[in-house]
Amino acid sequence: MLVMRKVNPVRDFRGFGALLIFFSVFVFGASSPALAGVWDEGDVEAGQALFNANCASCHKVTKEVLAAPGLGGIADRWGASEELLVKWIQNPQAAAESGDSYIKSLVDRYVPTYGWMTAQAVSPDDIQNIMAYVQNPPDVAPVADTGTDCITVDELPIEEASNDGSIWFLLLLVMFLIIAMAAAGVNRSLTNASLEREGEELLGDLPYGERLKNWLWENRAAVSLVGVFFVAYGAVLGYQGLMRVGVVEGYKPSQPVKFIHSVHVCENEVDCKYCHHSAYESKHAGIPSTNVCMNCHKAVKKGRRYGETEIAKIYDAIGFDPLSGTYVDGEGANGYTSPQDTYNGEPIKWNKVHNLPDHVFFSHQQHVVVGGLQCQNCHGDVETYTVGRVANVDDINLLVDKYPGLIELSKPTLTMGWCIECHNKAEIDLASNGYYEEMHARLKDHLRGNEELRKYMEDDKITVKELGGWECAKCHY
Amino acid sequence: MANTKRYWSGLDELHKTEAFEAIQSQEFPEAKSTDEFLSDEQLESTHTGRRDFLKFMGFSLTAATLAACETPVVKSIPYTNKPAEITPGVANHYASTYYDGQNFANVLVKTREGRPIFIKPNTATGIAGPNARVNSSVLGLYDSARLTGPLMNGAASDWEVVDSRVRKALSSGGENVVLTNTIMSPSLKRAIAISGLSHVQYDAIDYGAFRKAAEIDFGVNTFPSYKFDQADVIVTIGADFLATFADAVFYEGEWAKNRKPENGKMSRMHAFETNMSLTGSNADYRTTVKPSDHGKVATALLHAITGRSSSSGKLDTLTEAAVKNAAKDLKAAGKNGLVLAGLNDLNIQRVVNAINEALGATGTTVNFERNDLYQGSSNDLAQLTQDMSAGRVNTLIIADCNPSYDAVNATAFSAALEKVNLTVSTSMLPDETASRCRMIAPTHHWLESWGDLQIEGGRIDLVQPTISPLNSTRGWGESLLAWSGQSIDWYTFLRQTHSSDYTPEQMYTSNDWNIAVHNGFIGSDAFEQAAPRYSGESLTSAVAALNDQQGGAFELALYEKSTMGAGQHAANPMLQETPDPLTKVTWDNYVTMAHSDVDAMGLNGFIGQEKPASVVRVTVDDTAMELPVFPMPGQAPGTIGIALGYGRGANGEKVGKAAFQTAENGSFMIDSEGRMVPVGQNVFGWVNASSGEFTHHHQFDVTVEATGGTYPLACTQIHNTFMGRDSIVKETDMASFFAERDAEKGEASWNKLIKLGVHEDINNDGNIDSQDGKPTEAFDLWHEHPVENVGHRWGMTIDLTTCTGCSACVTACHIENNVPVVGKDEVRRHRDMHWLRIDRFFSSDYSLERGEEEGVGVISSYRKMEDPSANPQTVHMPMMCQHCNHAPCETVCPVAATTHSNEGFNQMTYNRCIGTRYCANNCPYKVRRFNWFNYPGYKKFGNFNPAQDSLMRMVLNPDVTVRSRGVMEKCSLCIQMVQSSKLEAKKRGVPVTDDLVSCACSTACSTGAISFGDLNDPSSKVAKTSKNNRAYHALEEIGVKPNIFYMTKVRNTERNEA
Repeated sequence: MLVMRKVNPVRDFRGFGALLIFFSVFVFGASSPALAGVWDEGDVEAGQALFNANCASCHKVTKEVLAAPGLGGIADRWGASEELLVKWIQNPQAAAESGDSYIKSLVDRYVPTYGWMTAQAVSPDDIQNIMAYVQNPPDVAPVADTGTDCITVDELPIEEASNDGSIWFLLLLVMFLIIAMAAAGVNRSLTNASLEREGEELLGDLPYGERLKNWLWENRAAVSLVGVFFVAYGAVLGYQGLMRVGVVEGYKPSQPVKFIHSVHVCENEVDCKYCHHSAYESKHAGIPSTNVCMNCHKAVKKGRRYGETEIAKIYDAIGFDPLSGTYVDGEGANGYTSPQDTYNGEPIKWNKVHNLPDHVFFSHQQHVVVGGLQCQNCHGDVETYTVGRVANVDDINLLVDKYPGLIELSKPTLTMGWCIECHNKAEIDLASNGYYEEMHARLKDHLRGNEELRKYMEDDKITVKELGGWECAKCHY
Repeated sequence: MANTKRYWSGLDELHKTEAFEAIQSQEFPEAKSTDEFLSDEQLESTHTGRRDFLKFMGFSLTAATLAACETPVVKSIPYTNKPAEITPGVANHYASTYYDGQNFANVLVKTREGRPIFIKPNTATGIAGPNARVNSSVLGLYDSARLTGPLMNGAASDWEVVDSRVRKALSSGGENVVLTNTIMSPSLKRAIAISGLSHVQYDAIDYGAFRKAAEIDFGVNTFPSYKFDQADVIVTIGADFLATFADAVFYEGEWAKNRKPENGKMSRMHAFETNMSLTGSNADYRTTVKPSDHGKVATALLHAITGRSSSSGKLDTLTEAAVKNAAKDLKAAGKNGLVLAGLNDLNIQRVVNAINEALGATGTTVNFERNDLYQGSSNDLAQLTQDMSAGRVNTLIIADCNPSYDAVNATAFSAALEKVNLTVSTSMLPDETASRCRMIAPTHHWLESWGDLQIEGGRIDLVQPTISPLNSTRGWGESLLAWSGQSIDWYTFLRQTHSSDYTPEQMYTSNDWNIAVHNGFIGSDAFEQAAPRYSGESLTSAVAALNDQQGGAFELALYEKSTMGAGQHAANPMLQETPDPLTKVTWDNYVTMAHSDVDAMGLNGFIGQEKPASVVRVTVDDTAMELPVFPMPGQAPGTIGIALGYGRGANGEKVGKAAFQTAENGSFMIDSEGRMVPVGQNVFGWVNASSGEFTHHHQFDVTVEATGGTYPLACTQIHNTFMGRDSIVKETDMASFFAERDAEKGEASWNKLIKLGVHEDINNDGNIDSQDGKPTEAFDLWHEHPVENVGHRWGMTIDLTTCTGCSACVTACHIENNVPVVGKDEVRRHRDMHWLRIDRFFSSDYSLERGEEEGVGVISSYRKMEDPSANPQTVHMPMMCQHCNHAPCETVCPVAATTHSNEGFNQMTYNRCIGTRYCANNCPYKVRRFNWFNYPGYKKFGNFNPAQDSLMRMVLNPDVTVRSRGVMEKCSLCIQMVQSSKLEAKKRGVPVTDDLVSCACSTACSTGAISFGDLNDPSSKVAKTSKNNRAYHALEEIGVKPNIFYMTKVRNTERNEA
């Protein structure tokens, strides 16, 4: 129930609805029925807690429809049929069988879109408290739409590539040369004409090549200076070009699902490791399996940007029917958390963003769990991304204020230079765990170790490099 | 006493043949000069013009450039519904049990993303680890020759059709039989009982006489349970119990328990044998005896111990003396003595029982309570064959066995199959028997199945699946139940065997069962039963029969190789390429012959790349076969040995690609009849069935004639010599060891620190002479690497006393590290890729001291030390990268592709290596291997390299690079395992201790000879053993300071015989 701790109760957290709802089954399952009017005065505070735990993932207290009808003005709509409301909340499908016309209208209107409401294990007393809260929600300053706080960089207009400019420059240059040559021709004709008139010897009819050579020779000092400049410029350009070979900064392959990181990470505050949990357990950060998506998307059936089309791709893969809110082949053997085992859906084939060559061994676990690095140190501000991409090192460096402790680097991301630059900067806290304490003890307790330790400590810190982080076989085997 | 013996790595080194000298001087013996190449006249007939050549070059360059520009899009496909226990990138381990009718081992199966990739011992059982055949059997799971579903008359069928046909046939009356090898599974036994079919068991290697002898002498039909850990003196008469005899996997580890000189005592082993076996090579005393003399040795031993009967005068004096020596030791050991004989002959087994009883050993080193091994009877199979040919068998179900290949009378059995109404095989492969059956209902691989096994005592070992079945197969137990009308799945049936009230609702709820599956076994070893009493039946006729055995000019002893066993693993390329521990030959079987006989027959005594083996025609009774001859030190003169287990798929049966020979270009060799040529030849037909009830492996009169033909053998050990240097292997005898047991390291006479002479009066005797020396440490060309006491210093100790040479480490290393299989042709060119090899050195009894005593000059003494010894002592020495702290390879690498880590690793960085091979030339241990080819892609290796088979590449370890052409590679000390151990330690916040860290080879070593750990951690095992006075560095005098230590070999022999 890691999720529970991560949720900010006053925010919109529909993402965790399904889990929360089922969690509540255990918490409130033991309540005994009591006969009390649901519209009687209840405990608003308790109601708020209950509402946030059980209802808020789908319902709002206003009339706005989230993943279910808004509860604003519920008393007007349900007023007389208290018992039916309790029944509806505790077991919607059973209540629908009662044939009540209002319930029928609800079912017709919402179930096709959002599926059946999950049966809630709440007692009539609880419902009374919830209704007290729903009818008298404390005045909360209207929260600005969180979406506006969350910038999505990929949606910003991208500047035109700059090499278009150089094409124009080249074109102009060629035109200028043609004009210059034409002018030179005209100039010569005119000179010849005037010379002829003055009866002097005409200019020789040397070929252009010869004349160019002569001209170059006459201006050899300037020409060599310009030549040197061009050669040097070419060398620099060539070097820079070659250094970009194999650099994949900004690589952002299209993905089969238009997944938006900013919506999940920023707007809904989902922790990176909720989906990429294996970064903490394995060398791979892993792409979340579809059943992880379903933890939220069992309830969240409609996205704000792309509506249902993108979420439907998850449902296709795992075999979920959003209308009925159930898995096509029934729930898995382990109850609610595991979707069916037998459904033979086509898995979502993502395009890999961070491709390391096969001869590089990299362990997320080592860096995240042992090294305590933040995801942003290598992956940048993912909460502003749409689909995943290789972050640019300069962009990462800009994050240093936002994420204290981030290590600023200069080499392009995902190059070996970048890796070892970090290994040279990153410090190891020898007191951080028993393993390093033992390493420290060995350094302290032996003569040669002492010498080594003194060398390490010249800059008052022990870096990864000093404990062997620059050795080939740390990553290549 | 210092070790002054001379070791040589083969007869060719001994004789310094010309070809050997030529090879010895070259590390890479392949160079073909440019002139030679250009003078090849065939080149002129090629049709590639200069312009075409340039076009191709231009095109390839452009294509390569374009291809390099584009970042390839890589797909990443997550699970749709991820199983909770799987995290991509994290290995899971499952306890299971291996049994193939011959080998039995408790194992842990390592899986990655659901794929089994490595098999290691299940230490929770307290039983030694799997041997080479078991740990490499993981490759068999991914054999693309496996059937993908049931077959009927050779065509694909489905299970319903097969089931209904078999049910119909079974219900049509007549005799219905199920034929298996020894069944040790209580559930399978129950299934067979429920099916009501007659059950016939036979074993490829028959051990029926052992059971019969136990029945006569003790009244119990059981296989003897040997307790090698209890034995102080072991006398084996032809039983290769360290490699292939009976439950060798178990025996090997038990034997090693009593071979630790530091414990103050060691068991002593006397071996009497015909072929040089792994056991014989590890014996303290080894005597060569002809097959016809095995029985006489047993009776002589009986005589010497009990005084009963006599075989005097029938054995030669040498053997006579050896028997007396053995008897003396046995009598001294009393109930801790153990005699065993490998021959499946009732008389010899009864004599052996009598000896053990006389010693009082019954009950201590051997007992007859209950052991379910080897219940098969070749007599029953013969009877079944008769019934079949007489048309008395209606339905025959053949499960888990292959009689058309390994039965003595395979031809008759195959012919009789035709007379049976319906024949069904459950083989995974369309093998020799299955391809002759009407139906094949393929069973699961053991890694896909549930099962239970019971050898002895009350303990039941469990088999659990580690992967879903890859193909549409069905465990044969379940098939049998389906055919007998039981609609029950195998898992439920299995559970009900162990708790009769089990219902599927309890699948996950039984805690006991879950624990049992986790541990790999249920119950305990304890087996409460009164020990059976010796009946004392008369032995007179048995002794007389044994004493009367007579041999002809040549006698034959068939044997199993420790790598190939009885041939179940013929399609396993890893095993085919693992050198036989004694001959070091890969990819073949052959005739082993004493060198004196080879010379007498004028056959080739040296096998090399350009020197193929001579072929002889061996005739047994009426059948003749032509096989190459390998001259083998330690082979009894007048005898030959041939390995069983080869020649699979001789009639073109598709038993797996690696079972067939490939030509130089990688395509299969085809014989004149258009069939693929198998690797080696099948000699199961020569198993001796003349004594009636039991078959055994000795033929007393065979004919051997030279044919004049030749045949190339791929032998790994004629190169890589140590050029006669004494500092490679150190050994001593028990008495010398005890005399200086407490000596400081470097002081004991048998492991003296090597000093190099200096021009300085070190010992202050006034003279500067050969006595003045400094330890090699004093001479340093290199800067110190800060590995000692700082951080980790990974290292290994290898105890030559307990290393048997079994080669389990070799296969484990290669599977863990994705070491390519290169095939026979490349092995012949000395391009084998073995990261870990086991050097086998024979010794001679001649020494400089003896030369001095006999007044022979030094040079003549050396020459005499090179004399072939008819029966040499053997040392097995695992040799891999020594991870020198002053590594000569590192200094010569022009691109710094091989460097030293501050943890003591000699690191090899493949992506930096440009393949100059300077490092290999500079390596004093010759352990670096060069990738001559793109093994995962080049067609030459397509038929056997696992990386080239789309299914078998699943076995590759995802944590280790698959190296490509043009780079050097070598042992990395399993750095991937070390790194993951360190990460585990950091996560737990604890120092790395021995229980966290291991190497593939140290994991696989069932005798505990190889240990791995942190030399800087004073509590680690290696830190202690490396300071032991037996520890030394190979080639210590060159001062390269390896991180691998060897432990002086201690033989339990008398002082004067060492």
